[in-house]
Amino acid sequence: MRFTDAVEFALASLRKRRLRTLLTASGVMIGIGALVSMISFGKGMQKNVTEAFKASDLFTTLMVMPGGADVPSRDPARPRRPAETAGRAGAVLDDAAVAEISQIPGVRTAYPDVSFPALIALEGEEEFRLVQVVPAAVAASNAVRVGWGRAYASDDEEGVVVSRSLARRLGTDEPAAAVGKTLRITSVSIDLGELASLDLAGLFSGKGLPVAREVYDFPIVGVTEITAFGGGPSPVQNDVIIPPGTARRIKRLPITSIWDLFRLRDGRLGYSAASVKLGSLRDLEPVKSRVREMGFTTFALADQFDEITKAFYFMDMILAAVGMIAIVVAALGIVNTMVMSILERFREIGVMKAVGAGDGDIRRIFFFESGTIGLLGGAAGCVLGWAVSLVINRVVNFYMARQGMPDIDYFAFPFWIFLGAVGFSLLVSLVSGIYPARRAARVDPVIALRHD
Amino acid sequence: MNAPPIIQTRSLAKTYLIGDVRVAALEDVTLAVAEGRFMAVTGASGSGKSTLLNLLGGLDTPSAGTIEVDGALVSAMNREALARYRRFGAGMIFQSFNLVPARTALENVELPLVFSNVDKKERKRRAAELLEKVGLAHRANHRPSQLSGGEQQRVAVARALANGPRLLLADEPTGNLDSRTSREIVGLLAELNRGRRLTVVMVSHEESLVREYAHDVVRLRDGRIVGTESRA
Repeated sequence: MRFTDAVEFALASLRKRRLRTLLTASGVMIGIGALVSMISFGKGMQKNVTEAFKASDLFTTLMVMPGGADVPSRDPARPRRPAETAGRAGAVLDDAAVAEISQIPGVRTAYPDVSFPALIALEGEEEFRLVQVVPAAVAASNAVRVGWGRAYASDDEEGVVVSRSLARRLGTDEPAAAVGKTLRITSVSIDLGELASLDLAGLFSGKGLPVAREVYDFPIVGVTEITAFGGGPSPVQNDVIIPPGTARRIKRLPITSIWDLFRLRDGRLGYSAASVKLGSLRDLEPVKSRVREMGFTTFALADQFDEITKAFYFMDMILAAVGMIAIVVAALGIVNTMVMSILERFREIGVMKAVGAGDGDIRRIFFFESGTIGLLGGAAGCVLGWAVSLVINRVVNFYMARQGMPDIDYFAFPFWIFLGAVGFSLLVSLVSGIYPARRAARVDPVIALRHD
Repeated sequence: MNAPPIIQTRSLAKTYLIGDVRVAALEDVTLAVAEGRFMAVTGASGSGKSTLLNLLGGLDTPSAGTIEVDGALVSAMNREALARYRRFGAGMIFQSFNLVPARTALENVELPLVFSNVDKKERKRRAAELLEKVGLAHRANHRPSQLSGGEQQRVAVARALANGPRLLLADEPTGNLDSRTSREIVGLLAELNRGRRLTVVMVSHEESLVREYAHDVVRLRDGRIVGTESRA
């Protein structure tokens, strides 16, 4: 029997039982649709996270932390034990160290992670926030996504950049309208004049701390976008960023918390961390080893990326497993339909055998039937999976937009998903056809022809 | 009977197992059919006529004995060889016609050609030719349900001849037909037998038809041959 004849026979038989063919193919469609949307969701998440990381220069950013007591243990088997590590000699991460790091070949900029608590006010609305000091070069890079206005041009410019969510919380819904407005930053400093006459007993008798409030006004030059996946270990994640030269003129406490005092080495405080921007990923290893030689601890996201990739494979597998449940049900549907078809066409199979059909011919006809159901269901499943993803994406983005989140494609559809889905559907349908096809081929023509 | 036999069976037996009981449908049937003859097999129902025909047609396999058709040992064939034998070696027609209801007369005649890999155009041409030969050219595009019993049996005859076998096996071909139509159908078989040197083996219990058309008559009772007659 020729290939085209087998296809024709299969199609004729499927057309004759149109409703059942449609229902069985719908089962396959739902299974493949579920699988397609599950996998495309997994791929979408992976793509979004990877791209967000790449776009925010996280892969070419190295975190540097002082050695010794402040090294957070990333090994759960060996929890941090300050008493043991505090005595170890660790380098102090001060301006000199940061300057030295920035001289290492391959380093584009190195800057300390400095932030201080302040009261932020915009047109009367106020909120406590950490203000982060970020060099102009970094503020102008991909690490900071300025969506409206601009980043400050120099390290000494009198201007700040705020996040869209802060602007919103402080009553300016339209981010473009926030540009040019004046942001009031109130910091806290120790009044040195009063410090001399500080009577510790007085603290508790209502005399008050020798603390002064310092008020500064800066124009908002830019507003940052909210990025959906930009959180995480981004080097810049505060709502207010300010250039270092300008920050230096703000009178404030040199610490953000009492815990910082525990990091003192010979009276020197140093920074809790510094960010190092690299020219390219190739520079990561040499820079890392140089910085470690200086006595610092490093953390690079690129080192963690293998783990992240593994986590995504795991997620893909779980999503695929959920989709597989529907596929198994669909496969049983095909087996059921084909076995029913044998019973109905028992006599016809006998007739075909009587006029010379071989076992292989009968098998082929039934295989082509189940394969056609698989192809139809697979193709329709691709469309269904894609359509459902589109709808979910729309709905999610609609609600996310209310939160001020930008539109994101939560699903990714690389071409191989569709090819793979149709191929897989065909494979499943052919496997489902094995038993019915063999059973049909084994029909005894003498019995079949006697059958009514 | 001077021509060499096209069919030769030796000590042919077929037993069925019904529950625990062994039932002999055929016992020790040794039979020769010369090429070009029209043989009738008669006997009461249950005498093993249809079993014999199914064995000759390669639909069933014997429990013992041998069948040789045109020099080939049909009784020793595997499933695939039997399918090929049914395709090219022997055409069969049945009491209940056994046409495929969803297919037109022409498509039914085409069916054996599909399994012998004849391309579509050639298939249509040959099927149309065969339908014309059995006098049904004008009914080619009708489905079996739109045809009379006699017409359906003619389609079945055309189908049996599609791959040009030298042997036509007919199992009670007139069992579902009235006497006039029965005569027409057996007449058609006799005509094909004469014109195409086609060997015909027909199972029938209609004595008048058998006497009128058959060259040889084999009588079966309880699975055994109880008599043979021949005329020139």
